Amino acid sequence: MTADELADLIERMAERVLAEREALNRLDAAIGDGDHGSSISGALALAMQEINMLEEPSLHAIWLTTAKALLNGMGGASGAIFGTFFLKGAAQLKDVERISQADMTELLQAGLAGVQARGRATVGDKTMVDALAPAVAAFAAAVDFPSAWRAAAGAAATGAESTRDMLARQGRAKYLGERALGHVDPGASAIALMFAAAADAYAQ
Amino acid sequence: MSARPHKLINHPDAIVDEMLEGFCAAYSDIVQLTDDRLVTRAQPKAQGKVALVIGNGSGHEPAMLGWVGQGLFDVNIAGEIFTAPGPQRIVDGIRAADRGAGVLVCVSHHAGDRLNAELALELCAAEGIDDVEMVILYDDISSAPKGNEAERRGTAGLFFVWKLLGAFCEGSGDLAAAKALAEKVRDNTRSLTMSLSSCASPITGQVMFEMAADEMEIGMGLHGEVGMGRQKALSADATIDLMLPPILEDLPFAAGDEALVLLNNSGSLTLMELFVLYRRVAQRLAEAGITVYKSWLDAYATTQEMAGFALSLCRVDEELKALWDAPANGAYMKQV
Repeated sequence: MTADELADLIERMAERVLAEREALNRLDAAIGDGDHGSSISGALALAMQEINMLEEPSLHAIWLTTAKALLNGMGGASGAIFGTFFLKGAAQLKDVERISQADMTELLQAGLAGVQARGRATVGDKTMVDALAPAVAAFAAAVDFPSAWRAAAGAAATGAESTRDMLARQGRAKYLGERALGHVDPGASAIALMFAAAADAYAQ
Repeated sequence: MSARPHKLINHPDAIVDEMLEGFCAAYSDIVQLTDDRLVTRAQPKAQGKVALVIGNGSGHEPAMLGWVGQGLFDVNIAGEIFTAPGPQRIVDGIRAADRGAGVLVCVSHHAGDRLNAELALELCAAEGIDDVEMVILYDDISSAPKGNEAERRGTAGLFFVWKLLGAFCEGSGDLAAAKALAEKVRDNTRSLTMSLSSCASPITGQVMFEMAADEMEIGMGLHGEVGMGRQKALSADATIDLMLPPILEDLPFAAGDEALVLLNNSGSLTLMELFVLYRRVAQRLAEAGITVYKSWLDAYATTQEMAGFALSLCRVDEELKALWDAPANGAYMKQV
């Protein structure tokens, strides 16, 4: 994967999340304050705007720009968590011009580890980790980019759906108790959308 | 009681900026709005004193805008509605606040506030900005059991920390002592909230959560987080009789203690109701042998038009009483 391809990938993720903005807002309204779709789509749009303005759009610059846009453009716990995901792997991309599926696996694993350390969440807590952890595992088990994104997208979708029957143990929804049951976590859902966008890009 | 769906705003995306402009125009003798949207003091505090910074989600006004000023905060960083500001904005706030004796970042304990403050401190360390500390503050006894105090949420009772810590930092250049004072006040403060209604999100216009007209919930968080469960709405006296004992038992407060008392209006309760509620609080505290040093009844930290209140007590000694009596001049907290 080259820098151009990465920028294209993030643009497709941004478009997919924007298209589903209202659906994500509705999920968040059930167990949060109803703005997750607006805030993540806004931050990804900001990331694309800033990536397009980069003088030297390297893999490293694109990944780091995405991290900063999520951290600062989104705010809240979600911004800190989604931003940390990109921030953690960024250093690995320094002076790298092209990455393999194995390199991307390391990036995703570093991001996942950072997210879990920052948010203190594990699988089963009804957070974005429920989609991200199985997606990263599925990605790692594949042999090339198209099959890896496809497997990851499937695992993320299943993982997001699994949050429906969970009680939240992290994030603001943990104070909702049983009121959170029956609702999919919006962060997990956003992760599933981003992996689905990547899978679609590589299927073409 | 239902939420009020129509808000007198212009556009949801502009609320925070327009609110900041209006607030700083109204109180230009106390605060100013910087080019990067920080609310700072109109007259900075003396050099060589510990600076105080807080970031918070908007929608809880007058918190925390109203607490910037002499004897209070140096800088407030307003986030989007119910959303903590991101780390870079907190770093900007730390830089703007610094008076050469370190900066204490106060965190009202919610996941977003804590995570972004942690990231901001990592950024400060990476940029070589020393002398920055954060303190995690909480008071809500319903959000985690006794023994797990560090998991509790910050709610309206942090009122006491803001005032007492602000007074301390006006006269001290000792960052570690300021943090210890904040923890001392926190550890002597306990709150419990209740609500009769939901409220509408200013962004979506939708009700944040559903509540039946004849119900109340004790222990609800600032964003409608579940507390000790729903029940039929009770009278003022019966509500206080239900809420005060667990607060007293949790610290515990004992006969002979002196306390500051806050009845904080969450939004649309009337002052009349607060006075009726306070009558019972005063009666019950007198029965328990607890002396009220001072009390406040008003809307200091709100959640839009939610109809409810927080009852908060802070046990004080001579040090804290003297700090309370020190001058303060914020738009919504004055002590002369």
